[in-house]
Amino acid sequence: MLNFVFYFQVHQPYRLKHYRVLDINRNNNYFDEKLNAEIMQKVSRKCYLPANRLILKLIRQHEGKFKVAYSISGITIEQFKKYTPEVLDSFKELAATGMVEFLGETYYHSLASLYDTEEFLEQLQQHRNMIDEEFGLNPTVFRNTELIYQDRLSDLIYEEGFKVILTEGVDRILKWRSPLYSYKNYSKTISLLLKYYMLSDDIAFRFSNRSWPEYPLTVDKFINWVNHLTLSERSGKNLFLNLFMDYETFGEHQWEETGIFEFIANLPSAVLQHSHLGFAHPSQCYELSNYQQESLSFPDPVSWADQERDVSAWVENDMQQNAITTLYELLRVIKSKGRNDLLEQARLLTTSDHFYYMCTKYFQDGDVHKYFSPYDTPEQAYIYFINALADLEERINEQ
Amino acid sequence: MVTGRVNHMKILMLTWEFPPLIAGGLGMACYGMVKSLLGLGIEIDLILPTKQATYFPLRKVEDVDLLPVKFFDTKQENTYKGLVTRSSNIVTGKTIKQEERLKLLGLSERPESYINYNDLKNYRDLIHYGTEKFYYAEEFSNYYQVDKVVTTNQEDQVFSNIKDYLIGDEDIFQKVQEFTIRATQMAQVLDYDLIHAHDWLTYPAGMFVKRITGKPLVVHMHATEFDRAGGAGDERIHKIEFSGMSYADSVIAVSKYTAQMVMTRYRIDSGKMRIVHNAHNTNVLEKGDNIRRFFKGPAILFLGRITIQKGPDYFLDVARLVLEKHPQARFIMAGTGDMARKLLYKSAHYRLKNRFLFAGFLNREEVESILSNTDIYMLPSVSEPFGIAPLEAMAYGITAVISKQSGVTEIIENAFKIDFWDIDKMVETICYLIENPDISKEIGHKGMLEVTQIRWDRAAQQIKEVYEERLQDHSESVLNGNEE
Repeated sequence: MLNFVFYFQVHQPYRLKHYRVLDINRNNNYFDEKLNAEIMQKVSRKCYLPANRLILKLIRQHEGKFKVAYSISGITIEQFKKYTPEVLDSFKELAATGMVEFLGETYYHSLASLYDTEEFLEQLQQHRNMIDEEFGLNPTVFRNTELIYQDRLSDLIYEEGFKVILTEGVDRILKWRSPLYSYKNYSKTISLLLKYYMLSDDIAFRFSNRSWPEYPLTVDKFINWVNHLTLSERSGKNLFLNLFMDYETFGEHQWEETGIFEFIANLPSAVLQHSHLGFAHPSQCYELSNYQQESLSFPDPVSWADQERDVSAWVENDMQQNAITTLYELLRVIKSKGRNDLLEQARLLTTSDHFYYMCTKYFQDGDVHKYFSPYDTPEQAYIYFINALADLEERINEQ
Repeated sequence: MVTGRVNHMKILMLTWEFPPLIAGGLGMACYGMVKSLLGLGIEIDLILPTKQATYFPLRKVEDVDLLPVKFFDTKQENTYKGLVTRSSNIVTGKTIKQEERLKLLGLSERPESYINYNDLKNYRDLIHYGTEKFYYAEEFSNYYQVDKVVTTNQEDQVFSNIKDYLIGDEDIFQKVQEFTIRATQMAQVLDYDLIHAHDWLTYPAGMFVKRITGKPLVVHMHATEFDRAGGAGDERIHKIEFSGMSYADSVIAVSKYTAQMVMTRYRIDSGKMRIVHNAHNTNVLEKGDNIRRFFKGPAILFLGRITIQKGPDYFLDVARLVLEKHPQARFIMAGTGDMARKLLYKSAHYRLKNRFLFAGFLNREEVESILSNTDIYMLPSVSEPFGIAPLEAMAYGITAVISKQSGVTEIIENAFKIDFWDIDKMVETICYLIENPDISKEIGHKGMLEVTQIRWDRAAQQIKEVYEERLQDHSESVLNGNEE
């Protein structure tokens, strides 16, 4: 049996405004509320609302056979409450069907796992509390920001009581192995599901690309590819086709006119026509894995970003490194001084997107970075961020 | 009649920068000078690099801020008036801001006379000349050929310099060509006694006007290409600078430092050189304790174009070393320029955390705001003809650390004067000032008192004397029938 495992990432950062030196100690609000509201309203209209409607319809139509998982960052839920409460309601409606799984992540969609373990665990707990409060659920599957993962992380996540971690199916780790199997972490305590990036990216990135030889991507074509992947299902093994992508793929990155909604609408019935194909939640990998799961070691951090599939999109150049180390240093000072009044704002600066905007890798991936950035240049993103950090520090020293 | 003219002196002034839109060093110098000249009863017709064919008839002191504008084409004038009216709010009676009004004339916002010519790509977006530029470039060469005035050999030489060297595809050269043609056309209609041109960008225009009208030409040297380039620079500009100064009746240099450079590098006759130091018009209210400071720790400011001339890399090196000893200090780099990105990367590479900040381009008001929050001002220029900014900083009671290679050091006592390359000495000085805030304050206070004496009225008086001298010579030569 080959199980389609859909996981959609739902995330919107609080974007910084053009925060200048002259704002320091004058203006304590670093974020561009108008822009953040506009983007949230736009993405809700184009993606979240129609996509949620569609998923709900498909769940009802297929009576328990169609399943998906979401990971929603805490600051995104906050922004739903502020700017588009109807989106949060529609997620609650989805949760009520029981066919939707919610994953654990950091509340602020941060890179804390790489810089500050204590902070990471606090953000994880904060997110867990919010999922419980909003949906009454307790996630057993964890996905770190941008699918960043390494061995060290699995020990922490295991201790936090999670059963499964999602990450990228990186070639340099998998080598000859297939991402269709479920694996164990290096210490064999927790299961891993690895993104099948070719097929995921066919939907998420290439779907509307007219210069792609496979354009246009139809459901039949996709199912045909999938059928050619699954030689080993005959031996009765439960495999997992992990299709992980940004939820904004639907209607925002791929516009409605591209036919992306029709693609998803028609996929479940085409999958379910085949007896050896089905859908599963990530948490089911634990019970479904009817074979010895091989253990995989990830000595260095991997992610789902760019060609490199590492963390270089966020913390490679000097600007990124100076910004992030300064931030985590300040965060520690804020905690040691018990300045809880500043903690929230500092944590809002831990969101990974701020560092993504400072990326100077050009060529192919630079275009993707540029598409997502509210600033003209990476240097601008850096300047506003550092100015905000200067203000934060001035306020720490105020008392 | 001749003496009467001297009493109601009228000047055709050509410059590239003027506030409020362009608040670079040249713009600020012209502003202060013009304001005080108007105060002396001198009338000025000002020509700026506007997109439209306009000039600014300045008659009384207030005009320096009001900037009344006249068009050569009445149709354009009506369109402009319509735009101004439309942009103003009729109900509230609120008129549009001066800056917006000047934008309608096509004046660009940023100083561009000192840009690095290798970095012009960034500027292309700023300059919206479109197809016009080809038209003017062609007109320029025609203009030169059609206009056959009998000239001496020496004149031929300098004009062929202008013709040969004002050629280039770069926008700045195109713009200078356009300015030259337009200013020359306007100058034939206007009525004035003397031409005063500032820096190489307006020298070709000043020269053509002198040749056509026979009126005396004073050129003002605010910065040579050697200063700007921090090395040899663009040879075409040297030639234009040389031609302008050779053809002028008087050359005003902003410091002894600049006069020296003009004489040694351009071999200009010292007999027609005059030194008039710049000044400032900063009025500061005593800093009250109620001002909310940006920074609680010591703040050290760099304010200027981030180009090789201003030595921004020395500022960064000093910052890095001072921060090792005094991590609570903050270094602020205000301005823009072709080295900004390089310095940004370098500051991040040195991991200067949030201690080295970039303020970007600041308008007048913002400059005042940042100055009221600064403790130490640094001007590490490699070659600075004058340097008004340190005077303004000192007027705020800020302690100034200035490179010895700056003209302004000739007229101030209460500032630290250090060779731009002597980083150790600069670091030592700044650490000393941080460690001894009372002494720093005292020096700042003395400096403030000192610079209150350095006002534009005095400089304007000296400039007026240069005008009078030239007009005297000129009227004598007219009376003797030596005029062409």
